Amino acid sequence: MVHHANDDTILGKAYDGRLVRRLAKYVMPYWRQFSVAILLLIGAILSDLLPPLLLQRAIDGPIRAGAVDGVWPYFVAFVSTLLINFVFRYSHSYFINSVGQQVMKDLRVAIFRHVQYLSLSFFNRNPVGRLITRITNDVDALNEFLTQGVVMIVADLLTLVGIIVVMFVLNWRLALISLATLPVLVLIVSIYQRFMRATYRLVRQRLARINAFLSEQISGILVTQLFNAEERSRMAFARLSDDYMQANIRSVLIFAIFIPSVNLLAAIGTAALLWGGGNGVLAGWASLGMLVAFIQYLERAFQPIRNLAERYTVLQSAMASAERIFAVLDTEAEVRDPVHPRSLPTPVRGEIELRNVVFGYHPNEPVLRGINLHIPAGQSVAIVGATGAGKSSLVGLLARFYDVQEGSITLDGIDIRELKQAELRRHIAAVPQDPVCFSGTIASNIRLHNDAISDEQVRAAAEMVGAHRFIERLPGGYNHEVRERGANLSIGQRQLLAFARVIAFNPEVLLILDEATSSVDTETEALIQTALTRLMRGRTSIIIAHRLSTIRHVDRIVVLHKGRVVEDGTHDELLARRGYYYRLYQLQFAGMTG
Amino acid sequence: MYHLRLLFPYIYRYRHRMIAGLLVAAFGAAVSALSPLVLRLAVDSLADGTIEPHRLLWFGDALIGLAVIDGGMKFVQRMLIAVTSYRIENDLRADLFDRLLSFDQMFYQQNYTGDLMARLTNDLSAVRQFLGPGLNGAATAVLTFLAATVLMMLVDPLLALIVVLLLPMVTIVFVAIGGRMRQAFHRVQNQFGVLSTRAQENFAGIRTVKAFAQEEAEIAVFTADNERYRKLNLHYVLLSGTLWPAMTLCLGLITALILLVGGQQVAAGTLTIGELVQFNAYLALLAFPMIILGWMVNLFQQATASLERLNDILRYQPMISSPSTPRLPPGYGSIEFRKVGVRANHSDQWLLRDLSFQVPAGKVLAVVGATGAGKTTLVNLLGRVRDPDEGQVLIDGIDVRELELAALRRMIGYVPQESFLFSMPLRENIGFGVATVDPARLDHVIEMSRLSNDLDQFPDGIDTMVGERGVTLSGGQKQRVAIARALIRDPRILILDDALSSVDTHTAAQILAGLRAEMNGRTTIIIAQRIATVRDADQIIVLDDGQIVERGSHQELLARNGRYAAMYRRELLAAELEREE
Repeated sequence: MVHHANDDTILGKAYDGRLVRRLAKYVMPYWRQFSVAILLLIGAILSDLLPPLLLQRAIDGPIRAGAVDGVWPYFVAFVSTLLINFVFRYSHSYFINSVGQQVMKDLRVAIFRHVQYLSLSFFNRNPVGRLITRITNDVDALNEFLTQGVVMIVADLLTLVGIIVVMFVLNWRLALISLATLPVLVLIVSIYQRFMRATYRLVRQRLARINAFLSEQISGILVTQLFNAEERSRMAFARLSDDYMQANIRSVLIFAIFIPSVNLLAAIGTAALLWGGGNGVLAGWASLGMLVAFIQYLERAFQPIRNLAERYTVLQSAMASAERIFAVLDTEAEVRDPVHPRSLPTPVRGEIELRNVVFGYHPNEPVLRGINLHIPAGQSVAIVGATGAGKSSLVGLLARFYDVQEGSITLDGIDIRELKQAELRRHIAAVPQDPVCFSGTIASNIRLHNDAISDEQVRAAAEMVGAHRFIERLPGGYNHEVRERGANLSIGQRQLLAFARVIAFNPEVLLILDEATSSVDTETEALIQTALTRLMRGRTSIIIAHRLSTIRHVDRIVVLHKGRVVEDGTHDELLARRGYYYRLYQLQFAGMTG
Repeated sequence: MYHLRLLFPYIYRYRHRMIAGLLVAAFGAAVSALSPLVLRLAVDSLADGTIEPHRLLWFGDALIGLAVIDGGMKFVQRMLIAVTSYRIENDLRADLFDRLLSFDQMFYQQNYTGDLMARLTNDLSAVRQFLGPGLNGAATAVLTFLAATVLMMLVDPLLALIVVLLLPMVTIVFVAIGGRMRQAFHRVQNQFGVLSTRAQENFAGIRTVKAFAQEEAEIAVFTADNERYRKLNLHYVLLSGTLWPAMTLCLGLITALILLVGGQQVAAGTLTIGELVQFNAYLALLAFPMIILGWMVNLFQQATASLERLNDILRYQPMISSPSTPRLPPGYGSIEFRKVGVRANHSDQWLLRDLSFQVPAGKVLAVVGATGAGKTTLVNLLGRVRDPDEGQVLIDGIDVRELELAALRRMIGYVPQESFLFSMPLRENIGFGVATVDPARLDHVIEMSRLSNDLDQFPDGIDTMVGERGVTLSGGQKQRVAIARALIRDPRILILDDALSSVDTHTAAQILAGLRAEMNGRTTIIIAQRIATVRDADQIIVLDDGQIVERGSHQELLARNGRYAAMYRRELLAAELEREE
């Protein structure tokens, strides 16, 4: 199957040795449990073969001989077989699913861990939703593959072989009569499967169209209403919905033909057994009990064949998922830790130097075109410039979210590429533009998951940035529940929490993206201002300023234009120069002073 | 239960098919209950040894014949009941969509798109499953059970009682385990929500995680959540892992009991061996229907939950709808706002306050102001996207709330701030708001909106598909399509809500010049950020925080040297900076 797997590109491969071998590595740690599961499954399959045989023995033995009490042993054996079978089946399910769930967990953590250390450019390329799908749906598909796919295919084949062997051992002539129907069943199932697969694809396609249409209509409902186009939408939707219904009706039709056909085949098989076996009974080469047993075996031989077709789909989707998961795991981080990292001299002072830094998100579109900048320890610097001047790229480089294309950035004289990222970021903290909050508590939003930061430190940090007052007023104070994305906090509150977080982590160098937010009231605005000033005290601070008041508080202003430093100096110096900054200031800030 | 009533009219519509389906099911059940009888006759005649070998064929033929009739019945039954269930689903979906089309923005703010879509697909599907496979299976199960019971009673009441009393155990086991499975599944889903939210927050906030070097701590938290998820999942999977073995065990125990009791009777000579085989065959015949009955209980529970969610849509009363005795607008297009106030949803915050102005028919009003000043809210009142909380909006002297909604909207050509286009060809997007597209008019509006400049860039010209499955238009192109879409309606009132923001200055000027010729006799409201766009308006109002702070013509406002004049100066300065490249 492996060799011509490539021909089947449209449906996707059902088996890919390379992928399966990689998956097997995740199962290896649990090989004991996995082997036990397989043994239990074999036990279950074998014990499944017994009941018809016992029936045959009972009928041909005590029942026909008229021995009333002789039926008891068969009853006891029958019930024991059932109980044993139940125990086998249940423990198999226990072991195989334990392994499956463990492997799923390991895979999820492996993906999460891997993604965690990927560079930001990866996150820019891959929408969050897609990554979530890798961790959830794709991993689930692999679990199906493990618990339902491979193992059950083997089980189905074993069951079939077992039944055939028992049949031949019991009576080869009746066995041949029974087996005559099986090739026909294989034919029916494969024809059914082909039609059904095509129809299911049609159903899925048409459902996807309904979903796309609905999503678009709901987003654009206002346009539809204002343009009196309700009738048009109604008709279009009715058409899509009708197409979907027709596809579904087709699947009903296929199913409605398939089920009776299989039942008819079973009836034909039974009829053949009655005729052939009946003759055997009359001629003496078969017994009545055997006839009854064969009718039951035939029925049991049908199920695995019907199953096999369905397992194919499980394999297909598992291979597709495995491909996608390994694609993520094979992505390498662009920003990597050095093999032999250096450490910063202690204490860290926070002196920063950029030498001829060139950077762009795409190789041929530089955003920064040769930046030279020396920032002594403890100085606060505001970076200003029009949109697209390269301000936020500069911050991304300093935090080493990206690496420079040319030139170098040093912290206390050491190239930041020679440091471990974790060490660098212990000393350089970036406060993002959009204050991020996580679900949890107020305290957990300040210390994140760093348990080294005590409750006192959390509180001190909050007090320092002036967040303490609003936190106190919340029900539960520092244990107040913060909902997903901080939805139950105002933007101003989230901003203050983000500041408190920085204080709690106490870095020597600060990178701040200071976004002027229109939705913050004047009181909070004042709080944020005070917090910012306190934050910058005693730290090297680089701030992308959007607020006039912030600019007035810094030691130095650097003006970026089209990826270059065009002016550098204090606010007053630059205003006096009446150059680019002067006009930028007029444009961005003059109106806001009121 | 209450919500089930929702289905009655739909079932009634297809009552003939449904009843026919049930009759066929009854007949099929009776037929399928006969084949164990044939088996018994065959076995008994073999046991006696009295039968001629060639007569064995008759039994075989009878079995095949019964299977053919039964198969035919099952086929017809499925084509009647299952197909009807799809038709009902289709009808319900159309009605739900119809309702959605009539709902106001309030509804769409309260309901997520994804949730609404789930109702029109997943919830409907749950209802359909109940009506189709559910009813189909239940009918087959109950009828087969009844037919088999009668036939078994005729053979041996004691054995029949064992089967009839014990078989429903399978259903009960299914329902019991199924109920616990549902609870366990609910917990799994909750934890799944926790897990994906955690991953979602982490990926979305990865900058913060990295900035504070918190990767390891995040992995630890994710691993802990994952472990909880694994445990809950295992619990669920193990429950579902008991389902089939438990039912197999139940069925097996009943078979064993029949073997014991029946076998002893045969040995004692009070029962024939054929009759024993017949009972065994009934067990096999009834096993699946009994399981289906249990499944049916699950389907029923899911369907009622889903119906409740569908009822939310069917019973929602939109706040904005046509009045019961609507008036038709005279159609001149004069506009008046009288002391209009609009509040933000459920709050004391005013979006617009004490707003009064008049626009005579055929005149141009421009509205400027900062983001959030209330400009879009203002124009939304005209087409009744929402209604004011205070005061009145009048068109041709009539309160818009007294006008027939469709007629009111037909008067208006609206170019929204975010030009929303549909995934359909450009031609249909432009002709979206008119019944038939006049080719000359189409050419005219394409020219007017300067879409003509770009038409030869599109692969299929005016028939180019827009959106995901077609070409992606630039912001400026989208805006121009939206302008053409509004103009082709030849509206009495034209609203341009920041409609030229993404169009380059040169083209914008061209479009404005063209519109000015068209504006003659057409009342126009222009919202814009650029002074160049509004300077020629008859009247300009400056909004701040929901209130009018300045009004007058361009010259008058410049002379006042207030906010408008400051905006104008800044625009000139920006243009100067721009030139300095």
